Amino acid sequence: MSYSVVGQSVPRVDAREKVSGSAIYTGDMVLPHMLVGKVLRSPHAHAKIISIDTSKARSLPGVKVVLTYEDTPKIPWNSAGFPPSPGAILVEDQYILSDKARYVGDGIAAVAAVDEDTAIRALDLIEIEYEVLPALMTLERAMAAEAHLIHDAEKNIYGHTPVVIGDVEAGFAAADYVFEDTYYVPKVNQVSMEPCGVALAAPDRDGRVTIWTSTQMPHLVRRITAHALGLNIGQVRIIKPPVGGAFGSRLGVVNEPIAALLALKAGKPVMLKYTREEAFLATESRHPISMTLKTGVKKDGTFTARQLTSYIDGGAYATHTPSFAGPVAGWFLAMYKSPNIKVDNYSIYTNATQCGAFRGYGNPQVVFAVESQMDDIARKLGIDPLEFRLKNHPCAGEVWLWSGWAIESCGLEECMAKGAKAIGWSEKRNEGAGGNSRVTTGAAGTKKRGLGMGYMMHVSGARPMLHETSAAIVKINEDGGANLIYSNSDCGQGSGTALTQIAAEELGIPYEDLVMTKTADTDVSGFDIGSHASRQVYSGGNAVKGAAAVAKQKLLAMAAEMLQTPAEELVVEEGQVWVSHDPSKTLSVAEVAHAAHFGSHGHQIIGAISEEPAGNPPVYAAQFAEVEVDTETGVVEVLKVVAAHDVGTAINPAAVEGQIQGAVQQGIGYALTEEYRCDLETGRPLNPNLADYKILTSVDMPPVETILVQAASETGPFGAKSVGESGLVATAAAIANAVYDAIGIRFKELPITPEKVLAALHERKES
Amino acid sequence: MKIPISLQINGEMYQVQVPVQKTLLAVLREDLALTGTKNGCDSGECGACTVLMDGRPVNSCLILAVDAVGKQITTIEGIGGIAELDPIQEALVAHGAIQCGYCTPGLVMTAKALLDSNPHPTETEVREGIAGNLCRCTGYVKVVEAIMDVSRH
Repeated sequence: MSYSVVGQSVPRVDAREKVSGSAIYTGDMVLPHMLVGKVLRSPHAHAKIISIDTSKARSLPGVKVVLTYEDTPKIPWNSAGFPPSPGAILVEDQYILSDKARYVGDGIAAVAAVDEDTAIRALDLIEIEYEVLPALMTLERAMAAEAHLIHDAEKNIYGHTPVVIGDVEAGFAAADYVFEDTYYVPKVNQVSMEPCGVALAAPDRDGRVTIWTSTQMPHLVRRITAHALGLNIGQVRIIKPPVGGAFGSRLGVVNEPIAALLALKAGKPVMLKYTREEAFLATESRHPISMTLKTGVKKDGTFTARQLTSYIDGGAYATHTPSFAGPVAGWFLAMYKSPNIKVDNYSIYTNATQCGAFRGYGNPQVVFAVESQMDDIARKLGIDPLEFRLKNHPCAGEVWLWSGWAIESCGLEECMAKGAKAIGWSEKRNEGAGGNSRVTTGAAGTKKRGLGMGYMMHVSGARPMLHETSAAIVKINEDGGANLIYSNSDCGQGSGTALTQIAAEELGIPYEDLVMTKTADTDVSGFDIGSHASRQVYSGGNAVKGAAAVAKQKLLAMAAEMLQTPAEELVVEEGQVWVSHDPSKTLSVAEVAHAAHFGSHGHQIIGAISEEPAGNPPVYAAQFAEVEVDTETGVVEVLKVVAAHDVGTAINPAAVEGQIQGAVQQGIGYALTEEYRCDLETGRPLNPNLADYKILTSVDMPPVETILVQAASETGPFGAKSVGESGLVATAAAIANAVYDAIGIRFKELPITPEKVLAALHERKES
Repeated sequence: MKIPISLQINGEMYQVQVPVQKTLLAVLREDLALTGTKNGCDSGECGACTVLMDGRPVNSCLILAVDAVGKQITTIEGIGGIAELDPIQEALVAHGAIQCGYCTPGLVMTAKALLDSNPHPTETEVREGIAGNLCRCTGYVKVVEAIMDVSRH
């Protein structure tokens, strides 16, 4: 199928304004009489608030508002931005400011003042007496019978998500081998370069409030903020300017309710901008999970039973966690076929900062565990790891347990074949080369090389678990150009560009002639769920394509009238309409649009739609890593990553590659360098900054070879599926498996730091 | 206490009254509305605030405004507007090396200083040159490709 602009790596619609520094992000904005907001944060991980005295702060010149829990609406809410669909579990346990300190950084009071210095001085003048309680920083301590309760709930374990298919005990009994392993993955932070948590709230007429905010989900932030403030939805307007990266951190409410309450109380605009430290301390990161996998397998490599028991550390507030446990089960269920499967996921409160969404939404955690164990199983059975995966994963036409629907398309086999070739799988892998032939380099052969791989599948949206509503309006202007009105929740991933391509392709006008709303504005565009679950191009793309199709139909009806030819015989491409069997009979789109506005008619050609897509086609990937382990220092160096991804039709291949390349950086960090740590006694964060929290720099990044496999979906726009999250899902597993290939040691806990490698090498030597 | 200073930015002189502890970054953004220079950490760790001082890249969050007196400061606004981009900026656009765009202005400034002093760097030199500019979107792949591409022309 050939297209005019779909499949082309056209420059991003916002590239020039971003590269020139002229793009205005939320934090760049200034409004007349704007105040600066600041939040006072608890220094204790767990403490009762005995008293708060704000009198000195209130009397400081320049201070306009001081708020504590007493000043907030007593309406509990949940910051998670997922849609309120049947099946979504919302535990509402948050207030705009807290009634009790539940983590180091919990917001206790807030001020608005004429400038930042005054606001900071005001925070210093607020006097709080705390009764410090034990900090429950680990799952074990939080789950202990005698543990203090973090919330008014019976236990700190507040959710259990069970799934049972068949009978796992019978399955284990029928197995030739049973593998049981426990894996642990740490807390990691999204680290968008624009620190998470920037909102500018301004009172509007009649008690309304307008909030410019760096968010992924304008309409859901409107909903949750209105609820938290006790307002009607129509009293809140959310505008989303360009966003400086999100990766899940802005999936839901961050600090919009505090900013809005300050602005409404002050009667003036308030800018509330979190520092980098606050972005670590007080916004949601990736869930740490302890996962126990039990797998029964026959000698021929077929599974008899698969079981996952996971303990999910959700931190101090529920946010996404109880609902997140569902996808965690989904990732596990859907990866491999087995007649018997059992999942038990437990959601647990601890005194850490609450967790939420981070690219992959539980899938990187699960895939690290599953693919590490699969590597062990394949080795034990002596089966080629690629064959082992291809034999057991569900493929096109089979039922996909994540959704319960048939799989529309699957390019995994091609991903495996091309990826393996690119990394040199059959030549370089130690087991593949006959075992024990590990490549060594370094002065005395102290650096050992290995290859590893991991497979993953991911979603295009979250149907049927959640509704995936999008709305689009396409209006053809009198000169033949068009506007696309859409709740543009692009946070940098490029969805705005891809949706512009889709609309132009469907409408049949040049890409340059179509302009999409550069922001999202809930007063302007129809309801859209936002950027989550890798959905924008698939779900949003279908709505955009649908709106363009309606506009095109009206355009052709008008042209049919002008050309005196049935509309079915007309074609529109590149801004020109002609009769398919007589191309000499032609009109430009501009002529038709002009006639609609000012000729025989008096209307604008507009197509509008609100819908959700028909499916949820899974995407697949095989990622391969080559590593070199320095057995003297313990350092694992990644020499190369090959990322072969089935994305469906790539609407903009360069943007698709960019998504994968950037995600791989995050995946390598997850494997080797990133961990947001705290003192286990006090709960104080140890590395809430970019010097001690290590993301990869340009010199740390290995070459990344991306391979795009385009197994088109049936239900996506022009066959598109998704790519936003999947690039990092299998990376840590591929690296851990490569480390095993290099030195024969299995790491079941991330990150694989030099200290852990050296300790493991030492332990092996001792034994 | 505020003191009056003159700053030379993008070839123009600006008179501002600043507290002595105010950083160059804060003065650029708050007093002069030059918001193309971004604040990613306020502590010299991310490079989003990179500007050129007498042609050398510096983290403007670590420079006091009073210490910038007498220096030639170049910000992203002094490099090329939307209509007339610098070749480095054109290459970043053409290679698809921009995603969220928040690190981009700082990266452009560092790349500019790098290529001004070393017009034909190796890939290793490019990677070392931009190592102080953190990016969370691109994995640096297309960024490095774009800078290498400019250096070849």
